Amino acid sequence: MDKKKTYSIWFLMPALVIFVIFYIIPTVSSLYYSLTIWSIDGAEFCGLDNFRMFFSENSLSIGIKNTLIFSVLTCLIKVILGFVIALFLTSGIRTKNLLRSIVFFPNLISTVAVGITFKALLHPTKGLFNRFLDLFGAGGTDWLGNADLALYSVIGVDGWKGLSVAVVIFIAGIISVDKTYYEAAEIDGASWLQRLRYITLPLTRGSRNSIIILSFIGGLRHFELIWSMTGGGPGFATDVLASIIYKQYADGFYGLSTAGNVIMLVLIACLAFPLQAFLRRREVD
Amino acid sequence: MKFKKAVAALMAVTMVFGLAACGSKPKEDANAGDGEKDVKTQDEGNEPAEENTGDESGEAPQGNGEFVYKEAELTMSVDADETLDGIEAVCAKAEELLGIKVNIEIRPAGLEGESLIRTRLSSGDMTDLVIAGGGTQLEMIEASKYYISLNDTDIPDKIDDIVRNEMTASDGNMYGIPIGTSMSACILYNREMYEQYNLEIPKTWDDFLENCRILKEAGETAIIGTYADNWTAQVPLLADWYNVNLAEPDFVEKFTAGEAKFATSEAAVKTWNKFGDLIEFYNEDYMAATYDDGCAMMAEGEGAHWFMLTQALSNIYSLYDKETVDNIGIFGMPDEDPDKTGLIVMGCNGLFGNKNTGKTEDIMRFIEFYISETGLDAYCEAQLPDGPALVKGYQLPEGSYRAVAEDMMAYFDEGRTTPNMELVLPVKGSNCPAICVEAASGQVDGKTAAEKYDADCYKIAVQIGLGWDE
Repeated sequence: MDKKKTYSIWFLMPALVIFVIFYIIPTVSSLYYSLTIWSIDGAEFCGLDNFRMFFSENSLSIGIKNTLIFSVLTCLIKVILGFVIALFLTSGIRTKNLLRSIVFFPNLISTVAVGITFKALLHPTKGLFNRFLDLFGAGGTDWLGNADLALYSVIGVDGWKGLSVAVVIFIAGIISVDKTYYEAAEIDGASWLQRLRYITLPLTRGSRNSIIILSFIGGLRHFELIWSMTGGGPGFATDVLASIIYKQYADGFYGLSTAGNVIMLVLIACLAFPLQAFLRRREVD
Repeated sequence: MKFKKAVAALMAVTMVFGLAACGSKPKEDANAGDGEKDVKTQDEGNEPAEENTGDESGEAPQGNGEFVYKEAELTMSVDADETLDGIEAVCAKAEELLGIKVNIEIRPAGLEGESLIRTRLSSGDMTDLVIAGGGTQLEMIEASKYYISLNDTDIPDKIDDIVRNEMTASDGNMYGIPIGTSMSACILYNREMYEQYNLEIPKTWDDFLENCRILKEAGETAIIGTYADNWTAQVPLLADWYNVNLAEPDFVEKFTAGEAKFATSEAAVKTWNKFGDLIEFYNEDYMAATYDDGCAMMAEGEGAHWFMLTQALSNIYSLYDKETVDNIGIFGMPDEDPDKTGLIVMGCNGLFGNKNTGKTEDIMRFIEFYISETGLDAYCEAQLPDGPALVKGYQLPEGSYRAVAEDMMAYFDEGRTTPNMELVLPVKGSNCPAICVEAASGQVDGKTAAEKYDADCYKIAVQIGLGWDE
């Protein structure tokens, strides 16, 4: 069908120009610069050396591993815990509105402020967290100083902050489920668990998919919390791609840093697009 | 409805005002300020100069010639972990005698601060004066583009050789002056505890570990660890360089050519292994304690030893009193031969002048004042030296810290010193602090840490074009 266009393509131009200048051109030029040794003096072509270094050098390749662990775990925390909390906040309790505001509150604080605060709270001897655990006789450990534990501590804090948005989206999703389904199910004698499994879960698929995609991609790119809590330490235990890229930039190795950015772009594209396609296919309209 | 409209209108107005207010106000003020000052110095500068030089020549000591009084305002960027007492004293004196008011800006400590300097210099937005490290730190900035060269003045001849190299870039130009006295990377120890437990200054590494064991069994914290500030983890590496250099005098040459590596050098691997020996003696929160915590612990006798630079003595002095500082002694990091212990000498940080801010004349006046006897006196009055002075012919004041006057001078008098590793090696790994933390916390063993450090240095060598093979 030949539809007459209501709007001329010129309406698109301003946004398109800005998009090309600030997104497309830098992305393409970064593909070039990632193949060079780039410093204040200039850029010298060096082929795939930067990428080879990224994968072979330990302190750089650990970032890829940590990034994946970080994004998968934060995604899981936000989806599972977020759903549980949202269920609770859409049930018949009286202080719903107050609780919803409280749960959303972490999202309003800057991530760096959260990072600095939790870093102080998790201090092994002076932090409130360990002192609180001592009250119950459970010993606390060095949450951010222990190389094995540090990444998971940061993931926990990121979960705390990210839950807020996940809960809000889930609440919207749960509320939008048509009440008639529940009524029909009750008449048929379905238990609470069966209602949850066969009605609520499938029908909130849309919100669930949004949260999975958002938190996964967000986790792959995350920087502020890690930098403000541990600076990539202890040693390299919490270094993710974003903080490694920042460190290379800070040292003045712009080519190496750009190569890291290209790797991050490819990683996100390779993981996010298939994920999105997979989730879309299963969505019930 | 009307009420809602009114509220909406009020909020819109508030938002607009808020944006305008926090717009570029600070910058505008600074620019306006500079502009005014420039006009003033044109018109009024001549008058005060005439008035004051009359008074001045009677009062002020004439270190290196008369000081011209001309009002000016300069900005200076300083690292957050730097002790400010001496610097501020010189600035106050400069305002009094030269009319130069210096506004000090603090930047974050360690690597973040260094990258901030680089970024601000390349974007043309840096302060007039910069206090930063020399040596490899200076190499990583393109000094000829950003800093004022001092080669045409008589300053290079006044500076001690050790630090002159540190302030000179590879293009042969000297760009900075030392801001204080030299300092050392060594082991600080608590004299009272040594007396209490009848310990002697260890001359070998095994003796040192034995002392630590005795202290630990007595319930004391043998070694203070402050690895939340990861730059502090590098001190054992730097301090032990004396022993590496002694064992392999040709290491520097070979390393520069890319032939020698830390992992293949027996002496260097021993250094990295020493990190592992220390783990059992640290305080409980050694991974979360900061440099400031360390200073407090050392001062209050909560720890017996601390691998630290002697600049900490000044930090402790400015927070506590002379008696506390005198209770702290130092000794060089021992190795195997009891007769061959020595000290690492580090220059201090340097004062560099930014040549792109258009205030070169005032900057040079300030720099020359700093190096003059008046300037140095002002500095040493406020902040006792952390080591021997770096300006030739300048005598250290009476009443220096005991650690400096007795312990350090002993090494210097006997010639048992060597310049800092960062000064003689062409490359220092940018991940050095992180790798040192890994070694210090036992995440990796000595050999692995050495290999990681080599890989890190290689990465930098490639980036700065040294032509090393893998």
